[in-house]
Amino acid sequence: MRLILALVALLPLPALADSTRSIVDEHILPGFAALAETTQTLQNTAAETCTRGDPLNTAYNAAFDAWITVSHLRFGPTEQEDRAFALAFWPDSRGATPKALSRLIANADPVAETADTYAEVSIAARGFFALEFLLYDAAFADQGDADYRCQLIQTITADIAAVSDAMQQDWQNDYAAKLIEPSADSPYRTPAEATQELFKALNTGLQFTSENRLGRPLGTFDKPRPNRAEARRSARSLRHVELSLTSLKSLALALAADAPDIQEKLDQRFTKAIDVAARVDDPSFAGVADPGTRIKVEALQSAVESIRQAVALDLGPRLGVSVGFNALDGD
Amino acid sequence: MIWGRVWASRSASTHLTAIEMATRRQLLAGLLATSLVPRHSWADAGNPAFLSAAGLPGGGYALCGISDALDVVFRIPLPARGHAAAAHPARAEAVAFARRPGTFALVIDCRSGKVLAKLQAPADRHFYGHGAFSADGTRLYTTENDYEAAEGRIGIWDVNAGYRRVGDISSGGIGPHDIKRLPGTETLVIANGGIETHPDSGRSKLNLPTMRPNLSYIEDRQITEQIELDTKLHRNSIRHLAVSKTSSVAFAMQWQGDKIDAPLLGVHKRGQAPRLATAPADDWRAMQGYAGSVAFSADGEQIALTSPRGGIVQFYDQRDATLQQTLQMADACGVAPTQDKLVITSGTGTIQTLSGQTVQNDDLLWDNHLIPV
Repeated sequence: MRLILALVALLPLPALADSTRSIVDEHILPGFAALAETTQTLQNTAAETCTRGDPLNTAYNAAFDAWITVSHLRFGPTEQEDRAFALAFWPDSRGATPKALSRLIANADPVAETADTYAEVSIAARGFFALEFLLYDAAFADQGDADYRCQLIQTITADIAAVSDAMQQDWQNDYAAKLIEPSADSPYRTPAEATQELFKALNTGLQFTSENRLGRPLGTFDKPRPNRAEARRSARSLRHVELSLTSLKSLALALAADAPDIQEKLDQRFTKAIDVAARVDDPSFAGVADPGTRIKVEALQSAVESIRQAVALDLGPRLGVSVGFNALDGD
Repeated sequence: MIWGRVWASRSASTHLTAIEMATRRQLLAGLLATSLVPRHSWADAGNPAFLSAAGLPGGGYALCGISDALDVVFRIPLPARGHAAAAHPARAEAVAFARRPGTFALVIDCRSGKVLAKLQAPADRHFYGHGAFSADGTRLYTTENDYEAAEGRIGIWDVNAGYRRVGDISSGGIGPHDIKRLPGTETLVIANGGIETHPDSGRSKLNLPTMRPNLSYIEDRQITEQIELDTKLHRNSIRHLAVSKTSSVAFAMQWQGDKIDAPLLGVHKRGQAPRLATAPADDWRAMQGYAGSVAFSADGEQIALTSPRGGIVQFYDQRDATLQQTLQMADACGVAPTQDKLVITSGTGTIQTLSGQTVQNDDLLWDNHLIPV
């Protein structure tokens, strides 16, 4: 096995192509298949009952889990037509989601009659975060007409399922091949460009978890912001960090398949971060103002930052996708 | 036409007198002749033609002056990574801005390296890294983020009162980045990049699905013209500006999405419709959706657009904004006009003119922008 790895290391381009193929087959396609399946279940469940609580909450949680697991793969079919934002409009710094929902409910807007027409509403009123308000937020428990709220829940879940299905179809039938087999007509001309796309997804996924999922609720020591935690209404904030770390770990280890030393380092740092997350006993980060809880959430952010560092300083250069002083700056 | 002119109101006459049309150097020469020369001029600082922030290979940062001959004529340590700088029109003073989301800027005497003043952003504000002086050098304007309100602001500082803050005005959008003054006028042009950020979440972009960048002109503290992208291009963040001697404004953009062949350069002239640059899709693709800096050549004939991510510099004919040629240059970002058309700096320490003169500084990583003095 060791000999094979050494030989592979001498053939960087085929090695990159092999690792892309395994990432597509084992990470990307199964992830989108799970998303399509769980969102279909969510739609079916809502069609039967739109009452708050189970079984709708269970279906919501399973589908949201599936989305968070693939949400770092923001390129190709995921980004097309703003699909990722149609599933998850967050951060919502201006409170656009509750405003858009209240407006629809107040007017009993017929746009919510079908998923097709609903695809035209404000993107803030679509997706899992809009659904979360309707299923969990006290302010939406009895707002407007109950039948309209039920229709809204059914339509939002149908829209989520339609968007997820479109992503899955496009990945399966079109984009997977483009990523695996770069060519002059593909968005990727070389295996290195495909690797760079996957590396970027890893990098931005880690950044999103550190800066948004953890950084937004942490705020500053003087001004903690528990109300800015992601999906806090359904107490999923910490779960999103854990799901994203688990998923990003599998992507990182696959990208480092030909660099066992780096793979081991990444494995250790991800494992550490996931352990630290398991010790945060605060699913919605409501306690970021409490010093005892805060220190644990800060430790989790530090652990994610140490992964980012290894990805930027070790994995990037080894994959040949490290970037310059200005290229990295992004300003 | 994929651009729309959102609204405009004509301002006072922009007829320019001969002296107003003069370049800054000619103006200085005029000042010398009439013995209005400032107490300390750029000549006392080694006559830099350009300013640039730099990183040092072992860590640490600096602000440097670069001469016409491409020699580094001064190097002043900075406490953190810089971004752009603003050069006082007459005195040898530079304002070095911290990298976004920095909350300070240093006014540096470029003869001695002494810090003359420190600009502190007000509470709940940070700088974006760019600033511009009024024509007479008595006012400094800075782009700022009022991040709790998610509004762009332009801070106004009284230079002669030791850079005291005297007020602020709306920038006309979210995420104002570059700011320039049109030559011979007090009109400011601002690139409102459209992207909301909050220091709690670092440099994460908070509003990509709803972002709406624009180009805003401010005269006498009022926004008098504003250009917005067609909604199909709302993810094209207008970030950096170059102004020609005839007040054409070239704007460089950064695409915030997956599409890879979006045009990254536009040209606008007041009162007219803006024009997007044209280049083959493969050439846009080579820019990797990211333009770092933009400059007109000294003769005004060409516009240079750098992409550190693509490792290339593209040159456009300013008349019709079409691509003429491409230069390969690793981590190229800073660009400015020079007597020999254009000069480019890179994060690898290279300074290169369009005619091929090259100087390599192995101990300096040139940061994003090259600012003409």
